[in-house]
Amino acid sequence: MVPLSWYLTLAAGLFSIGLFGVLVRRNAVAILLGVELMLNAVNINLVAFWRYSEALASMNGQVFAIIVFAVAAAEVSVGLALVISVYRRRNTVIADELDMLKW
Amino acid sequence: MSTETLIWLLPLPPALAFFLIVLFTNKSKAVSHTIAVGAAFLSWLGAMVVFIRALGVEHLAEHPFESAINWLPTGETYLKIGVLIDPLSAIVLFFVAWCVLMIFLYSVGYHNFGQPAGDHDHPGLPPHGATVHGHTVPSVEPMYSRFFAFIGLFAFGMLTLVVSDNVLTMFVGWEIMGLCSYLLIGFWYGKESARNAAIKAFMTTRVGDVFMLLGIAFLYSVTGSLSFKDIFNEEVLKVLASVPTGVFGLSAAGLIGLLLFIGTVGKSAQFPLHVWLPDAMEGPTPVSAMIHAATMVSAGVYAVIRMFPIISLDHTTMNIVALIGTFTAIFAATIAVAQNDIKRVLAYSTISQLGFMIAALGIEAYVAATFHLVTHAFFKALLFLGSGSVIHGMEHGVLHTGNHKVDPQDMFNMGGLRNKMPITFWTFLIGGFALSGFPLITAGFWSKDEILTDAWKHDHYIIFGTLAIAAFLTAFYTMRQITLTFFGEARTKEAEHAHETPWTMTTPLIVLSVFAITFGWVGIPEYFPGIGGLLPNWFHEFVGSMLGEHGAAEAAKFDPIPLITSLVVALGGLTAGYFAYRNVKSPAEDKLQISVLKNKWYVDELYNVVFIKPAAWFSEVFVSKWMDKGFIDGILHIFGPATGGVGSGIRNYFDLPIINHFLGDGSAEATWWIGRNLRPIQTGRIQQYLILSLILLFVVGGLLYFLLMA
Amino acid sequence: MEYFNTHLLSLILFTPTIAALIMLFLPDNAQLQRWFAFISSLVPFILTLVLWSRFDPNAAGFQFEEKYVWYEAINSSFHIGVDGISFSMVLLTTLLTPLAILASFSVTDRVKPYMMLFLFLETGMLGVFLALDLLIFFVFWEIGLVPMYFLINQWGSANRNYASLKFMIYTMGGSLGLLLAVQLLGVLFGTFDLVVLYQQWNSLSADTILLGMPIHTVKTIAFWAFAIAFAVKVPVWPFHTWLPDAHTEAPTAGSMILAGVLLKLGAYGFIRLVLPLYPVESKIFAGALAVLAVGAIVFGAFGSYGQTDFKRLVAYSSVNHMGFVVLGIAAAGLAAGTADAHIAMSGAVLQMFNHGLSAAGMFFLVGVIYERTHTRNLDDFGGLFPLVPVYGGILIFTSMASLGLPGLNGFVSEFMIVRGSYQPLTIYTAIAMLGLLFTGAYILKGIKKVLHGPLNEHWAHGEHKLTEINLREIIVMAPLMALMLFTGLWPMWILDIINKAVTALF
Repeated sequence: MVPLSWYLTLAAGLFSIGLFGVLVRRNAVAILLGVELMLNAVNINLVAFWRYSEALASMNGQVFAIIVFAVAAAEVSVGLALVISVYRRRNTVIADELDMLKW
Repeated sequence: MSTETLIWLLPLPPALAFFLIVLFTNKSKAVSHTIAVGAAFLSWLGAMVVFIRALGVEHLAEHPFESAINWLPTGETYLKIGVLIDPLSAIVLFFVAWCVLMIFLYSVGYHNFGQPAGDHDHPGLPPHGATVHGHTVPSVEPMYSRFFAFIGLFAFGMLTLVVSDNVLTMFVGWEIMGLCSYLLIGFWYGKESARNAAIKAFMTTRVGDVFMLLGIAFLYSVTGSLSFKDIFNEEVLKVLASVPTGVFGLSAAGLIGLLLFIGTVGKSAQFPLHVWLPDAMEGPTPVSAMIHAATMVSAGVYAVIRMFPIISLDHTTMNIVALIGTFTAIFAATIAVAQNDIKRVLAYSTISQLGFMIAALGIEAYVAATFHLVTHAFFKALLFLGSGSVIHGMEHGVLHTGNHKVDPQDMFNMGGLRNKMPITFWTFLIGGFALSGFPLITAGFWSKDEILTDAWKHDHYIIFGTLAIAAFLTAFYTMRQITLTFFGEARTKEAEHAHETPWTMTTPLIVLSVFAITFGWVGIPEYFPGIGGLLPNWFHEFVGSMLGEHGAAEAAKFDPIPLITSLVVALGGLTAGYFAYRNVKSPAEDKLQISVLKNKWYVDELYNVVFIKPAAWFSEVFVSKWMDKGFIDGILHIFGPATGGVGSGIRNYFDLPIINHFLGDGSAEATWWIGRNLRPIQTGRIQQYLILSLILLFVVGGLLYFLLMA
Repeated sequence: MEYFNTHLLSLILFTPTIAALIMLFLPDNAQLQRWFAFISSLVPFILTLVLWSRFDPNAAGFQFEEKYVWYEAINSSFHIGVDGISFSMVLLTTLLTPLAILASFSVTDRVKPYMMLFLFLETGMLGVFLALDLLIFFVFWEIGLVPMYFLINQWGSANRNYASLKFMIYTMGGSLGLLLAVQLLGVLFGTFDLVVLYQQWNSLSADTILLGMPIHTVKTIAFWAFAIAFAVKVPVWPFHTWLPDAHTEAPTAGSMILAGVLLKLGAYGFIRLVLPLYPVESKIFAGALAVLAVGAIVFGAFGSYGQTDFKRLVAYSSVNHMGFVVLGIAAAGLAAGTADAHIAMSGAVLQMFNHGLSAAGMFFLVGVIYERTHTRNLDDFGGLFPLVPVYGGILIFTSMASLGLPGLNGFVSEFMIVRGSYQPLTIYTAIAMLGLLFTGAYILKGIKKVLHGPLNEHWAHGEHKLTEINLREIIVMAPLMALMLFTGLWPMWILDIINKAVTALF
């Protein structure tokens, strides 16, 4: 069997890509995509840890992953709704331009 | 009633009369004077009973009537007060009772009882007369009842003083008389002069009184008792004479005697505290004047006679007593010569005669002093009442003419009154001759002669000489007074219309003139040529027994010099007085109106400058303004601003800069500054925030890692 | 009945307070409030008479003692009791308070709080006289200040703010040291009980070290702390300047109580605390105390003579008279154990009583004429005697009592003080005579300026016409005058009680 660290390395890579996307992409939709990547990296971790633990019968990892899916779906729907709303008002989805929340 | 009980009750009726009149009957003049005169009569009656019983006791001096009760608890013991009648107090009681009764009776007439109320009379001012059917007649005194209340209290004081067996109650009576003299001198308080005279009398005598109080305290501390019986026994006296005090080298007895004597100087108006008595003539003429002059001042002499066993222990004190007495006798006599007010002449003559008594005591002529005290009381009372009668008659004239500018007391406004007022004239003449010492007949001769004889016999030649000159002056000014008042022709219209006074005023004159003659006969010395021994020298035996062996042992040897002297001065003075003033019509013709005498040697002016003004300045300026308001309150008022200063100092240099500014405002400003400077990092860009959080995560994570691992 | 017997002092002490609290709920009717206050202030007086009838003058020590737990943590108990000295003061207080309240019937401004303050004041004063515990003593000592402060401050005349503040600050300043000294004693012995302290404090051996200082130094400091507190209150020279201001500005009844009772607190403090607690120091410093006393006598008399304000004149007379009390106390301290001391001390206590009567009377009489004329300036009066003969008679009578005329009360006590002080303090007594002389001068000045002389026509006619003293005012004066005369003639009635207590104590 493939050792656990492979999964973790994969997940870390995926997470870093997501993080990078969140930090550097200007488009708000792309930032949301980055967030999705990071969530999925977490899912991989959860499932991997479950698979390598001794409590396989409990199904904990899969339940966690499924909850994360549900949350991610909800989050994306709200996030996209916000993006659309912002776009309608400001005519842009570039995050840098949405800097009203400052002093 | 036992004699002791009776003695206790003697002073009470007049005191009760005082309270009854003040509290209840002051509206009714008739009831008030009835109560007062009745009370005086009761006291008189009691006094006569006591006097007669006292005469019946053999060796009264050794076995006096006495009775005492506990009065004041003092630690483990009590101070006793009580009554005592020995020969001295019996004889004083005799004349006091008579004088008091006569004064009370006289007052009824003097204050115009029965006359209508005045037209414009005002309480506090002498009555000005009333108009009846177009005539002006004397009006009744508006404060008639009050007068009787006051003299009632006065009589109480005098009787208390006389019957006391101890110094303390003697002092009580003494001071009550002081109050009454204040009230009576200031009786017409509406007059500025009367008001000031009253205060002068009270304050001057009080100078003496505080010394006397000190003397009493001293006496009490040393002997532990104040009753005469305890003090005047030989052991106590021996102790008193032997204790030194360190004051002028006096023994305790000497100092006590001196202090008590200063009280007498005040009360009996001796130099230098004599100034009040002439001014006391502001009181209702002459009744209160007579009270001060004939009765109260006698109390001073009585006190010295009473305290004689102590005073006589120290020669220094005795010399002072003799000196003051002699000086006062001549000093006052010189002033009396130049006075024109009929009462003032008598006032100065009183001072002078009291000087005789004091001088007599100073040379240990105990009996002579007592004798003169009694005879003087009778004839001086007579003279004062007589002068009052004269003034009253003159006021009648003044009311008749309506010329109120004429002073009814000025002798130069009188003249020729002997026909208008015969009873007054004859009685006044008797009194005046007694005062002058008219030989053989009058009482004054015998007593004054005895003083001169004693002075001569005890080799006090200077005192003898001085007193002889004073006696000459006495006769001279007395005759001057009689001549100006009664002889010659009336010098004013008012004197022409003078009128004899009612019976209530003349009866006392007659009674007193009887005593002014006869009382001398009880003390004629056995050795006197011709009539000596016809009558026993009762007075000498009776009063002399007070001194025990000492008094009885006085050698009875005739010496012509003092007798001739007293004959010469009395007759010479009278003759000189008559001839000098027979034809004098106005003050301008009077050669003796020397300003220094007229102004009483400027003693009043001197006192005013030396004592009264400085005292007022000291009170009003030094104590009130400078010390209290300036210095003490000044210090206090420093506290106020100082506290304020400290407070605002704390506020300005600590609270405001440190607490408020540095800590309070400072912390706010620091927060503000920090926020202002951190503001740029809040860009509003979500990704920068995320980077920051990431960095922070690493930093915190790293720190935690190191800390936890380490 | 049993309760009544054992709690007699508490009843006397707290009846006024309870009455004052009840007054809170009285309807707003001035006449009712006055009468209620007057009648309820009579209760303590009647109780005091009961106390008198059961009081045994021959018994040594304190009688009718009551002791309750009060402040356990510091061992202070509510301990009250009475002996001959305090009895005379209690009698004076309970007598003067109803008279003062009766005298205040003419007050129309805020009657309820005025009367309540008087009742509180009575409790405060009685508490001081009855206390047998230092802390209780101090508490009542300070309580007495508060009502008096408000009485002066709220019902006084023009300059009342200055006067009330001066009165308050002066007295409080004086009692600071007292508080410290009281605490010192409390800390040292673990009790504030006077009866215990009397014994323990004096049984300390002379070489004891307290607070790092020899016992003598500590005692000297504590002595002066006590003495100054009481000296301010008496007041002796030079701590007296609050008094003329406070008296002058206070309402009439306030002055009556202030002069009649409050000043006695100071002298009582000397007698109850200073002399028994510091017999040695009292002997050492008797001279200093006598200097202050003579200063009060002489300067009080001169000060009084120098006034133009009638009430200020009377106020200074208090300084003069209370000086005699302190002179007597100083002499008693110096000569403790001798007959001189007993006489001086009895005289001092009697003088306190007498001054209470005559000063209260004098202030009331000044108030009577002030109410009618609205002036106190002596130069505004003159020749009033014919207009107000009864008032004049009463004024002269009371003045004479104040002057110390023999036959009236003042003389007896002054004589006893002079007699008692003569031997121990001869020179001081002799100087004090100067004050006695000027007592006459200022009293006569008062009479002269008000009653005698030419009539000031201003008061004779029209709207300013001076009216005679009324019945209520005569009723206020009558008991005072009766007592002045009776005490003058037969001082034994009260002096016997005082003398026995004094003889037992000193």
